[in-house]
Amino acid sequence: MLLTHAETVALVLSFKVSLVGVACSLPVAVGCAWLLARTRFFGKPLFEGLLLLPLILPPVVTGYVLLIVFGHHGAIGRWLDAAGLSVAFRWTGAALAAAVMAFPLLVVALRNAFESVDRKLENAAATLGAGPWRIFFGITLPLSARGLVAGLALAFARAFGEFGATITFVSSIPGQTRTLPIALYELISTPGGESGALRLTLVAVVIAVVASLIAALMLLRGVTREADA
Amino acid sequence: MRRIQRLVACVMVAGAGALGSAMAAAVPPTIFAAASLEPALDQMAHEGALGTPAPRLVYAASSALARQIENGAPADLFISADERWMDDVARHDAIVPSTRIDLLGNALVLIAPPHSMSKVQIGQGPAPWLEALGREGHLAVALPDSVPAGIYAKQSLTKLGMWQVLQPRMAMTRDVRAALNFVVLGQCPLGIVYRSDAVSELRVKVLATFPAASHKPIVYPAAIVKGHDDDATRALLAALQAERARGVFRRWGFDVLAH
Amino acid sequence: MIELDLALRRGEFSLDLALQSPARALALFGPSGCGKTSTLLGIAGLLHPDRGRIAIDDRALFDSDANIDLPPAHRNLGVVFQDARLFPHLSVRDNLRYGMPHAAAKHAFDDVVHLLELSALLKRRSGQLSGGQIRRVAIGRALLRQPQALLLDEPLANLHREARAEVLEHLRGLKRGFALSTILVSHQPDEVIALADSVALIEDGRLAALQSAEAFRSSTAASGVPIAANACATG
Repeated sequence: MLLTHAETVALVLSFKVSLVGVACSLPVAVGCAWLLARTRFFGKPLFEGLLLLPLILPPVVTGYVLLIVFGHHGAIGRWLDAAGLSVAFRWTGAALAAAVMAFPLLVVALRNAFESVDRKLENAAATLGAGPWRIFFGITLPLSARGLVAGLALAFARAFGEFGATITFVSSIPGQTRTLPIALYELISTPGGESGALRLTLVAVVIAVVASLIAALMLLRGVTREADA
Repeated sequence: MRRIQRLVACVMVAGAGALGSAMAAAVPPTIFAAASLEPALDQMAHEGALGTPAPRLVYAASSALARQIENGAPADLFISADERWMDDVARHDAIVPSTRIDLLGNALVLIAPPHSMSKVQIGQGPAPWLEALGREGHLAVALPDSVPAGIYAKQSLTKLGMWQVLQPRMAMTRDVRAALNFVVLGQCPLGIVYRSDAVSELRVKVLATFPAASHKPIVYPAAIVKGHDDDATRALLAALQAERARGVFRRWGFDVLAH
Repeated sequence: MIELDLALRRGEFSLDLALQSPARALALFGPSGCGKTSTLLGIAGLLHPDRGRIAIDDRALFDSDANIDLPPAHRNLGVVFQDARLFPHLSVRDNLRYGMPHAAAKHAFDDVVHLLELSALLKRRSGQLSGGQIRRVAIGRALLRQPQALLLDEPLANLHREARAEVLEHLRGLKRGFALSTILVSHQPDEVIALADSVALIEDGRLAALQSAEAFRSSTAASGVPIAANACATG
């Protein structure tokens, strides 16, 4: 089962877009997850709700918002265009769409991972003279590594499968924004495209299964170790 | 005794009949229609030109609608934006062939944002197009292999010898209204949509119309979905061809085809 | 000089303690739930009293009137928690070194390891240690912080007899070898007698008495049972 050139381009593009998207999403998600897990502040439920919006809104709506904000003449888009860093109709725009759509999954997974770290250990580290950054990088993060990897796997899968927001924001441009799900959609919509659609579907299934396995493995081993202790 | 029984029986039958017709009247027919028909059909339904209760209107790309109908979606009437998808549905034996008619025609136009200074004409080669697009701009077109508007656009551009040059500059959209929106929002300097889409939209201007000979005739076939051939649906199909409906269609930029 | 003056209310539980002691080693003695651990956490900075003053050797760690509330990291205390709280992802060596100041003398690490007999355990992780070993590593880690004072929360709790004896012996050795202010929390008289110079009896969140270790030993010997063994009014 070999993919056609167009299908291969879409597959490679999807990997590029998803990896970059999740990588960019990660620092923001870590910060937000830490705030949710370890701090209290006025308006926290509202903040949480806003973070989960991409999960709840129809992807097309999210894509439309991205278009208004980051497209040409957009509130942020115009500055990007002026700086030569335009994301409209580019793979970077597709990566942004992927990042936004994967973000809530990442925040939820990271928050759970941070909350599972015993605060008593963090307190002990504080009494030993560690400041908040040292506690975070030296204690919280290493002890939440499994949850982190699981979250990344799921977020990657979500980014990889992103369709509605992407096609609404950056349309379908082969080699730039036509990711695997978009290519798949086009093949399904074309009479005679069934065999190509099947090939791409199989690829998508493999990726989804691998992501699930990684996530399950990480979370399962974490649970077993607790049971032993 | 017998008289009372007969009276009760009459009341029950009358009641059942009333209930039955009330239920039948209460369930409006459903039209699956190509996305480009949205403004026209919405207006007709709103004005009551399509009977009461007003039909339920479902819009999407003809390709998506066709697939759904082939898989048993509960549509009573299907109006496709091209013959190919109606043929596909017919092949799957999902329409009543005798009810199929060519309802409307349309034209393909090139649009730009209203402030655009482009003087692009059709038939003078791709150079003015590339100039209008500049270095970064894209030509908004519906997916050329699946969405009817895109299929016609591809036919036209190929006939005009511009397909190869323009294809790498295209931003392909899920349906024709998304292409229209890209131009409305100023995201793309040029777009190819139906005349009906451009007519109603104040935020775009029509630069040129593609010659009818450059593409297969744009025909909107309509047909009754198999298993839904009843009085209400036939009445609806008739209403779509009545004078009131024809007036609305023309106002929205469609050609009304004679039968 | 240990100055403790703290008032704290959490729901049903209230703590109102005031004492001053020139002793090097002070024990807070009383049954479970009387506020001993809360006091210790308050000294460490992990619990915030409603008002009061906590100072060790004239260095104020908390003073509600003067608006002083040092974060735990700046209090320069070595805390040995009741549940040890060793970092499970670090080796014993890395745990021990965690709070060591950069300017610490080279031999400081070796001295503590030798004193607490930890050299064979340095490469292990907490999951591979016995209860007594865990406790010793926790003590070593607190010591290597080179703190101004050591806080010990029930250091011999939940250890079986051999481990208790082992750790107690090491603590006695520490007392001899290190001139460090120590505050010890315990509900077991033998720990208190072995390690403290002065004993504060805490009952129901209040100071019932402040006596020397000698006086404490006599009173426990006389009654045969730990004083104030009855449970606190609030659980």
